[in-house]
Amino acid sequence: MAFGILIGLLVLVLSAVPVAAVLGILSFLLDEISMGGTLTAALAEIYWDKSKEFILVAVPMFILLGEIMLRAGIARRMYGAVIQWLSWLPGGLMHANIGSCTIFAASSGSSVATAATVGTVAYPEIEKRNYNESLFLGSLAAGGTLGILVPPSINLIIYGLLTDTSVPELYLAGIFPGLILSGLFMLAIIGACLYRPFWGGTKIETTWGQRIRSLPHLLPPILLFAAVVGSIYGGIATPTEAASIGVMMALIIAASFKTLNFRMLRDAFEGTMRTTAMIMLIVFAAIFLNFVLGFMGITQAMLNFIAALGLTPVQTIYLIVVFYLLLGMFMETLSMMLTTIPIVFPIIMKLGVPEFSDVWFGILITLLMEAALITPPIGVNLYVVQGIRTRGGKFNDVAIGAIPFVFAMLAMIVLLITWPNLATWLPNLVYH
Amino acid sequence: MLAMIHQKLEIVSRYAVWAGGAALMAAAFMVTVDVLCRKFIGITMSGSDEYSGYVFSATTTWAYSFCLLHRSNVRIDAVYSLLPKPVAATLDVVGCILLLYYMFIMTYYAGISFTQSYQNDSVSITTLATPQWIPQLFWFAGLVLFFITLIFVSLYAIVSLLQRNWELVNKIAGVPSIADVIEEETQGQDVVLASAETLDRTR
Repeated sequence: MAFGILIGLLVLVLSAVPVAAVLGILSFLLDEISMGGTLTAALAEIYWDKSKEFILVAVPMFILLGEIMLRAGIARRMYGAVIQWLSWLPGGLMHANIGSCTIFAASSGSSVATAATVGTVAYPEIEKRNYNESLFLGSLAAGGTLGILVPPSINLIIYGLLTDTSVPELYLAGIFPGLILSGLFMLAIIGACLYRPFWGGTKIETTWGQRIRSLPHLLPPILLFAAVVGSIYGGIATPTEAASIGVMMALIIAASFKTLNFRMLRDAFEGTMRTTAMIMLIVFAAIFLNFVLGFMGITQAMLNFIAALGLTPVQTIYLIVVFYLLLGMFMETLSMMLTTIPIVFPIIMKLGVPEFSDVWFGILITLLMEAALITPPIGVNLYVVQGIRTRGGKFNDVAIGAIPFVFAMLAMIVLLITWPNLATWLPNLVYH
Repeated sequence: MLAMIHQKLEIVSRYAVWAGGAALMAAAFMVTVDVLCRKFIGITMSGSDEYSGYVFSATTTWAYSFCLLHRSNVRIDAVYSLLPKPVAATLDVVGCILLLYYMFIMTYYAGISFTQSYQNDSVSITTLATPQWIPQLFWFAGLVLFFITLIFVSLYAIVSLLQRNWELVNKIAGVPSIADVIEEETQGQDVVLASAETLDRTR
């Protein structure tokens, strides 16, 4: 029976049936078959309780904050400032791409918007300064993925909700791996440009005076990040409250840049509500599926299966990593997270290794989602970067340019498995 | 006629989304004031968390129709994008009908939840003791709007499928192209997209 359901699920998903419908109908079916529909009868209560949950309010708030910041007109100024600080490295502006995406990621939750916005500012420079187009585009696609690792991250809120993990701890845990990954991306660029110096374009001359003068342009996103993340760790605010404070600060920043107007707010509202609806439609279905699976004991069957394989904990983790890398080539990230976490998370917890904690796995799975965003054939960020190439070009240019960055991500994954403390050190220091 | 209804529904859902966004911004303001008062004046204005929860529940369901009409619901198109247009259009209709079935059940149970709260005079177990049927009415109404929109979109897609108008099925219920996705996600921003011709020529 379980096999039949799995095949049915696969066929529905591959037939492009909306993921929410697939998950929802699967839960009803499983409940009907194994428990005679008793859990579906409790749906009314579960649905309303989850619909008004305060921690979930953080999701639309962080999206709104990102939407306002994207429209506040900081991208061009910020990119100009980051160029002053990073373009001396071999690979020049490509480091500014990574740096700008990292800073942008700290205020935006959408990897699509991050890659498209920074990409539009950066794209004309390829021709102007003779960069290797493929690598340059790859750096934009890869940089954009940082949005879901560097806090505030919507993916981490959803992970926290599904697994009952503390969101503030997850946010703290994401900071170091986010910075290390940016560093690894930059190392990949330096490595490529030392191997083929002409890939790195013509150098930009700058002075310390220019660098100092550019600093104010970096202030708004950094202040916002400090206020949001700082208020959580200062014990002043919960993640939802911090997101609300962030929305107010973003409005003030937009007003100071004279970009706050009715039209801009309307666009931000439309973007926010569309993304929220898109996410929540699946989240509620996944919550219900999680609930049904918990009662059915499918998770126990899965645990028995893994135990029968006789693998060590580290081998099991690597098996899961390979599973996600393969799945990520074909699946969109949010639905991949929501469909697999209810089954995979209990396996990790049963490994009995204290270092492989719930917080640590949240960061590992986010890294795997980032890899999924830039691995073909279905890699959303690759398509986004292809979409902003006004001069056109082959899709393969972007896919090939992203390869060094996929290796950087794999290196980060190995580092995180070998030294789980990279993620857990900071939250442990603050909370335990 | 169908095109006109489609357009009208789009306008209604757009207004709903503007109102939802504004309500969310107001909730952000309320929560911020609450946090600042608590921290700096030592006054706790209880209730901002509860109210923002209600705002969230209603704005989410009111945004579903907009999400549907803009074809933003998440679908896995790894295989879909390789299929011939008539097959893809048929899958669009199947997808619509399955979503309709799922939402029928969710809306039905939401309706039960609302009626029970109304009949039993249920109140929240907080100091505010909010009668639950009030926020639930907004929440449920959004679901009903979504359900009606879904019925209409399914019918419109079926009619277009029978007329063998594959492009129209895609426009109503298909998976949007990547150019459409970027345009939606970056609307009103300084983002320059490659033209569809450039992308088609070079793919």
